[in-house]
Amino acid sequence: MKRVLSILFLFIAVLLLASCNNKTNADSDNINYDIDLSNKPELSILMPYSGYTIDEVNNDPNARIIEEITGYKVNYTQLPSADASKTLNNELMDKRHYNAMKLTKEQFADLVKDDMLVDITDALNTFGKDLLANISEESWDVVRLNGRIYGIPERASSDNIEYPIVFNQDLLLESNLDLPETLEEFENTLKVLTEKVGKPALTFDKYTPLIYAVSSAFGIYSDWHEYTVNGKTEVMYYMNAPRYNEYVNYMHSLYEKGYIDVAVATNTSSDALNKFTSGNAAAVACSIWSVPAIVSGLQANNKITAAEASGTLDDYLCYLRALKENVSTEEKVYRSSGYTYITAIPYYEAENAGYALDWMNSKIKDNEGAHNFRLMVLGSEGVHWTYSAKEGYLPIAANFSEKDTASFYLTGSNENRYTEYWKARVRKQAELYRAWSTLMKDADKVGEYNVVDFAPVIEDYNKNRSAIEEYAQDQFYVMLREGSNKLGDYRNKLNGQQGCTKATQAINDWYKTYKK
Amino acid sequence: MAVSLRAKFKKNKRLIPFVIPAMLFALIFSYLPMIGILIAFKENPNFGRYPAIEAFTRAKWTLNNFKIIFSDSEILHYLANTLTISIMKIVILFPLPVVLAIMISEVKNKVFSYVIQAMVFLPHFLSWVVITGIFNNLLDVYGPINNFIAVFKENPIYFMGEPKLFKWLVVLISGWKEIGYSSIVYIAAITAINQQLYEAAEIDGANKFQQIWHITIPGILPTIMVMLIIRIGYLMDAGFEQIFTMLNSYTRESGEIIGTYVYRLGLGTGSRDYGLSTAVGLFNGIVSMILILLTNAFSKKKFGTGLW
Repeated sequence: MKRVLSILFLFIAVLLLASCNNKTNADSDNINYDIDLSNKPELSILMPYSGYTIDEVNNDPNARIIEEITGYKVNYTQLPSADASKTLNNELMDKRHYNAMKLTKEQFADLVKDDMLVDITDALNTFGKDLLANISEESWDVVRLNGRIYGIPERASSDNIEYPIVFNQDLLLESNLDLPETLEEFENTLKVLTEKVGKPALTFDKYTPLIYAVSSAFGIYSDWHEYTVNGKTEVMYYMNAPRYNEYVNYMHSLYEKGYIDVAVATNTSSDALNKFTSGNAAAVACSIWSVPAIVSGLQANNKITAAEASGTLDDYLCYLRALKENVSTEEKVYRSSGYTYITAIPYYEAENAGYALDWMNSKIKDNEGAHNFRLMVLGSEGVHWTYSAKEGYLPIAANFSEKDTASFYLTGSNENRYTEYWKARVRKQAELYRAWSTLMKDADKVGEYNVVDFAPVIEDYNKNRSAIEEYAQDQFYVMLREGSNKLGDYRNKLNGQQGCTKATQAINDWYKTYKK
Repeated sequence: MAVSLRAKFKKNKRLIPFVIPAMLFALIFSYLPMIGILIAFKENPNFGRYPAIEAFTRAKWTLNNFKIIFSDSEILHYLANTLTISIMKIVILFPLPVVLAIMISEVKNKVFSYVIQAMVFLPHFLSWVVITGIFNNLLDVYGPINNFIAVFKENPIYFMGEPKLFKWLVVLISGWKEIGYSSIVYIAAITAINQQLYEAAEIDGANKFQQIWHITIPGILPTIMVMLIIRIGYLMDAGFEQIFTMLNSYTRESGEIIGTYVYRLGLGTGSRDYGLSTAVGLFNGIVSMILILLTNAFSKKKFGTGLW
């Protein structure tokens, strides 16, 4: 018996030791500058979820073009669609070999805070000259922590106004109505359309507590915006905005009168679009990037023919950009911008950081000698696109769909060129381009930015962000049903327990230095 | 009566080697990891960057994790939701697999019995996301059930957004998914009952219901009690996945349970707050343990059968 016990204890002791000893501390934050860039190793890159299988990702024509341009053979791995951040954390704990990782802004903030990413500030001068030349100082600020750079920011392709309310133009015409401009007209339009369809006219999904097209009439243009209250100007979250209660009351009255789909709080994005395309709703508040889905939905419901679907749908759809409080007020609305992805290098791969940076650097290069970035995003002249002096780059329909996945492979965007190239991508579908052009008319005058779209890692904001957003979202749908009577209580909870006061403070502290 | 431990040991000496693998298993996978409870008293150790022990020693000792959990005035409300839903599930759903098992075992046509079993097991193998999706569509304002209701009533019922209905829907859908699978144990237990008992009862003139009541039920009672005690051990878990997929802005108030609350508290965003999640696990564990001890004591006193 004694022997059995002693063996048992020995076994446990070994196990304990083994479990404690499996990692040696990394002292490898040192980047090796003495590398031979002509001898290119195979790179392993971690990507976000693409929606395709990993074989498709690795064999995509765009992946092959990148290989040709850069000379690096790349093995892509992607995070799963669910629990992506959890998987990312596990991969890093296991010290999986990834030369670089394309991270969301949230994942980046989380990792940089825990000292998990390589400081590439100095290495950029050696390996990233084109990166430095084609990414703006404003963008580098987003990936700086204590003055040091930890990743390559990928700025949005274009600053778009992209959240319209899409109306069924057919019904508007039949009812002799123009696109509404003011709050009053909007209510009247919904009333007429609701009576006509026999069902609530307006629908949207459960992730849209702030319908920018409507809230703009109450001076709430974006999620975080500057407001002046009692002579004091500061950035506030929309739920704290001075006129938020008016917005809620307005929406509540529309809901009470039966003009808003009762199930908005449970609609997924596709539920809302389906209700619109099947004719159960006459208007839908959605993103402009849902236009292709709306077009195919209309086609699937036999509302339009295939031939019509490939052209513009002037007779079927129209886009409301923003309501005004009354005829004389100025039109303003949210214009999105910012950084969706940041590419960074895990700390234990610091030694080989030079190769990863060199790879990203050659991808972004775009000059007379080598139009690498254009090849990646647009493809080749005469095959994927043609150029006209008046309209810019135009897609060649037969081949351009090959470039649909191109943006997935970006690791940093050439900010001097991307917007220009990117328009060709919007032109791919006639109706999408019409929608985009309608919304982008006078964008510089009308557009209002969200303050935090340009924010660097702000810990107090980042930590509380999802709690704040979810709470505000929940409470909007609750108030849509019951009115704004309890708004005071909800705000107290938002600011206290959900951490909005702390986040607001931190954002304001940063914004003061940013505005200078 | 009182056999000394030593004598017992000696008597069963030969059986001991057979127990060792199970003991090792429990030791390695259940007892050793308990050391990790200490993480609940640490300020989020950075396991990503440092080796386990170094990360642990680097982190500061703190009670903050517990403060965070109990600082929400509504934690009691969520605890109440958790217990209500769990108890509803036990009271309404626990007896049903027993009934189903008895019904299945009484089916004389073997093929029919297998078909039925396969059909009721099937939903168990679908994930909650799928099941919730199915019911979302069925119960949609423009869905089939509301189309049917429209025959009698003007306005459709917004099932998924009605706080009062939420708990009942949770129980109903959970029942639809799990009853079949849960009945397996009882079907097995019924098969083990000695057939001669039924023959004897028949000769004595007992009808089907009397046979079930006096033979089948007492025959599987120990199984039922063990299952009940185990089930009560999971009382604090009212079905995280199911409720997480079903919750929405309207039903949050009446449906938020401890599990979903904690997920929202910080784990949902993918942040690596190991300290906080361990603290919640510890809290859940303690409550579950108390519940198991109480039920076991009750079961032993009332029915003379328990886990130990």
